[in-house]
Amino acid sequence: MAWLVLPGLAVLVFSLAVPLGFSVYYSLTDWDGLGAYQRVGLDNYRSILTDDPVFWRSLRNVVALIAVTIFVQNPCAFVLAAFLSRLSSRASRLLRTIYFVPAVLSLVIVAKLWVDVYNPTFGILNKLLRAVGLDALAISWLSNPSTSLAAVIWIIVWQGFGWALLFYYAALMTVPRDLEEAARVDGASWLATYRHVIIPHLYPVISTVIVIDVISSMKQMELIYLTTAGGPGQLTQFLGVYLYQKAFVSGEYGYGNALSVLFVLLSAGLTFLVQRGMRVLSR
Amino acid sequence: MKTKAFVIYTLALAALALLPAAPAGAQTKVTLKMGDNLPDRSNTWGAIVEQINGEFKAAHPGADIVTESYPDQPYQQKIKIYATAKQLPDLFKFWSFTSLLKPLIDGGFVAPLDRADFESLGYRPGALDTNTYNGKLYGIPVSMDFWVIYYNKKLFKDAGIDHVPATLEELYALIPRFKAKGIIPMTTDGKDAWPLSITFDQLVWRISGERGLPRQALDRKIKFTDQVFVQAARALQQLVKSDLFQEDLMVSDYGASRNLFGQGKAAMYLMGSWELGLGTDQAFSAEFRANVDAFKFPAVKDGKGAVDDLMAWYGGNYVVSASSKNLALGKQYLMFYAKRFPELAWEKQATLPAQTVKARPGDTPVAQTILRIISEARATSGTPALDLSTPRFKDDNENAIRELCSGLITPEAFVKKLDAAAEKAAKK
Repeated sequence: MAWLVLPGLAVLVFSLAVPLGFSVYYSLTDWDGLGAYQRVGLDNYRSILTDDPVFWRSLRNVVALIAVTIFVQNPCAFVLAAFLSRLSSRASRLLRTIYFVPAVLSLVIVAKLWVDVYNPTFGILNKLLRAVGLDALAISWLSNPSTSLAAVIWIIVWQGFGWALLFYYAALMTVPRDLEEAARVDGASWLATYRHVIIPHLYPVISTVIVIDVISSMKQMELIYLTTAGGPGQLTQFLGVYLYQKAFVSGEYGYGNALSVLFVLLSAGLTFLVQRGMRVLSR
Repeated sequence: MKTKAFVIYTLALAALALLPAAPAGAQTKVTLKMGDNLPDRSNTWGAIVEQINGEFKAAHPGADIVTESYPDQPYQQKIKIYATAKQLPDLFKFWSFTSLLKPLIDGGFVAPLDRADFESLGYRPGALDTNTYNGKLYGIPVSMDFWVIYYNKKLFKDAGIDHVPATLEELYALIPRFKAKGIIPMTTDGKDAWPLSITFDQLVWRISGERGLPRQALDRKIKFTDQVFVQAARALQQLVKSDLFQEDLMVSDYGASRNLFGQGKAAMYLMGSWELGLGTDQAFSAEFRANVDAFKFPAVKDGKGAVDDLMAWYGGNYVVSASSKNLALGKQYLMFYAKRFPELAWEKQATLPAQTVKARPGDTPVAQTILRIISEARATSGTPALDLSTPRFKDDNENAIRELCSGLITPEAFVKKLDAAAEKAAKK
């Protein structure tokens, strides 16, 4: 019966292992994607790690995004989910739908929407700020070097919030009521109930959400590409956009492939670490 | 028995399904796959291509044309990806530049053309040369491109301004007057950076009075760190810092900046002569179309260059894919296009073609100005520096320009980056 795994294995090999193999091969060349190429050994990797500030900037931005999703988005989504789980089912369904709307919108629409919201000339954000007398705050959010990264991270968090909320809400509904009641009978406050009973019960879900957050932060590409394309300068550059630009804009296909190999390694490593961390935490 | 009947029934069905396919196969048209950067097919340039395609199909009943169109930058990337995947369209619009066309030629992706076929078609001097590599013609130039500033006469009047600026100082003096009226003084595409890079080249020329300094720096005869480049970088950074442009310059793309001007929110638009179609673009109001005009890029105080030193080149072209199965038909299309386009482009006032055209009584004011500017030019630049070298240099150049104009690096650091990029490209 072992042959039954073959179709699945074949898909995995041809959709993952073979392309990755090609990537590794081309990452050792100076191919521009079009003509002849030479093998350059580990040169691409060496220059990425020692001589490419944009790579490190992209990585820093990824870390910032991960930090914001884990330490800001997740707690907010959890608190809101806990609040929703106490409401009547009708009210909670309505609110959940509202919070989930951004998550079902197409990325292109979300990007265009926020580019317009942030627009310094006709954007609604600056209009509101001016209306309440905060003219000094009415700046060009996406192109101002001091706000651009926060502005794009906000869009990503805004869109991803619905997912986190949905996960936490679904998980909270699975917590057995008697567990909670037992804690309360024992005199636990609501805070203690959440801290010692409910949250430990939800560790597997929290761990899953965090892994998803880490992976989606790592592979963040489309939204950045559609809003700032990494600018101003390279301040909002992310690994996904950067490797695409290297491969297909600046014609450094070999270098782009080296970036993508590092990207895979980093993603795998980080996911492993997060899972490890969560396991230790849930013990 | 039942199984046998089922098999016969299935086979009969399959045969039936195949029957209508046979005669249709005999009549199959030859489909030419085309690609271009003109997504708007009902206006100006895109509409002209549609008309040419219609006429070509009428003249070649067996031919069909399927076009894929994207805005400029995504289109360039798409073509590179198609080339890498060996799926280029049969013929496509591209750019004659070393940074874009040469890698395709070196990779054997573009079919050479017979230059003699095109020499009698009225091209301006040098137009075919920019599409010639290793002594062979690889593309037909379509437009004569040069750097100008478009302006909206009504918005100038609304701000009480009765003249176009002849110097950068005059230009700076206009900024507060437009701002007081809630008008954006000028727009351009900052996100893609190449317009700012061309402006940098223009400033180098205005300051030095010497043609082709960036090319010399790329050839490593001089250095980008020389004083003139620092001065030009300073001037460019000052242009951006002076509130001349839309606030979100560095993240607003081609379409967004063009719309700000076309919708009457900005008084000036820094762009190439290929936008002379603004005067006939139905997407904008009749009032705008009647008021759009152009002027020469201003002079720089104490600069040695003159306003008639023109950043001008032949950028856009059409090429045929070397691996096209319909090579002969593709070449016939190019010939058809080369003959029809200049006449239609000028008749519809869509762009200034690479072939010479004559002024006509019905020309829009902006078209008349564009013709006047090119006729008054005392020297032209040729291809801008960012497109004279490798794709990597182009990308480095654009990134350095983005950093300079975002105020992230000093003019001195900018020229150092440019010089390092040129050094890298020269070694390649």
